[in-house]
Amino acid sequence: MKLGVFVSDFKLTADTLDRLKADKLGIILVQNGVYHATTKENGKASSLLDKTSNLYALSEDIQIRGMKDSDVDKRVKVVNYGDVVDLIFNEFDKVAWL
Amino acid sequence: MGDVKLALIVQKPQYKGETSRLGITHAISYQTVEILLADGDTVTPKLCFTGEGVLGIQKGQNAMDLYGITSTETHVKNSLLVDLDVLVCKEDLAKYGIPEDAMPDAEDMGADKKIQVVPFSEIQKAIDEAKHVLFF
Amino acid sequence: MGNLTIGCFPGLVGSMTYDFALKLAEAAANKGHKVNLWFSGNASGSVKAKQKHLKDYSTGEKYLKALIEKGVEVCACEACSNARGVDKTNAIEGVQWNAMHWYLAKIHSSDRVLHIGGE
Repeated sequence: MKLGVFVSDFKLTADTLDRLKADKLGIILVQNGVYHATTKENGKASSLLDKTSNLYALSEDIQIRGMKDSDVDKRVKVVNYGDVVDLIFNEFDKVAWL
Repeated sequence: MGDVKLALIVQKPQYKGETSRLGITHAISYQTVEILLADGDTVTPKLCFTGEGVLGIQKGQNAMDLYGITSTETHVKNSLLVDLDVLVCKEDLAKYGIPEDAMPDAEDMGADKKIQVVPFSEIQKAIDEAKHVLFF
Repeated sequence: MGNLTIGCFPGLVGSMTYDFALKLAEAAANKGHKVNLWFSGNASGSVKAKQKHLKDYSTGEKYLKALIEKGVEVCACEACSNARGVDKTNAIEGVQWNAMHWYLAKIHSSDRVLHIGGE
């Protein structure tokens, strides 16, 4: 299963995400989920970023919060809405919003 | 196109938010979907409760008397009555100290199905087998 | 081109999740995909017509009309809407009304489904 997971909160969904198993897991950070890509809590990057190498964050949701694409952890690819559509159709066979 | 399997995962507790109830009622609506589909096409949902979603399905609920709304217990019983597979995560019941015999059944309504208390691996299997997965 | 069904449950005002759903629907439609948009729960209230766009609040009416113009099928859960005082007489033109099985039927023919549950 190639599963793309939308994470829209900063803290609330890690428990569910920890349990999901997929042959290919992608994490698409949107809304407050983008803080996983930009914020170091007590100097440490979010553990969410260790779960997969397929990490994406929505540019519009980064910029609306006063951050820049350059603030994003290097492991995360910054994408726009059109890119998200392509990810949904081309990179995963199921998508889930947690 | 034939049958399309779905996994509906209720992961939020009942009553404060509406989404967990809507997970149940959307699953139940599989019963009438065929009126909108071509002959031979079906949708088969599995309704799964995980995480905090297991908190609001204990029997003995009294939502109608107290708030004038249908209880989650009744919705779960209706799910069994329409032959839905209802899976509840065993590890999460244990985590929250909820005994398995607190799960409702719908024998009094004539349902053949019963809630299946299963390890999370069975819910993962339902997710793997489904064409689409919906988290509520 | 593919077929995408988006189930949106959060309300028009309060979380911006609704805005995300509409923007994603627009982006998919712009790429030529067939898009279905199902509103249930608080999102079903968003189909009420004559929304006033105050700048502190998200607005859906203009956006929804544009999506319908693009061929996006927009359907609201009739029971959820009626419970919120919204019905066909005061709703945005072009919005469809149905029961929850509409969503399952659209899912049946979809390549991808993004279900955005409520908060």
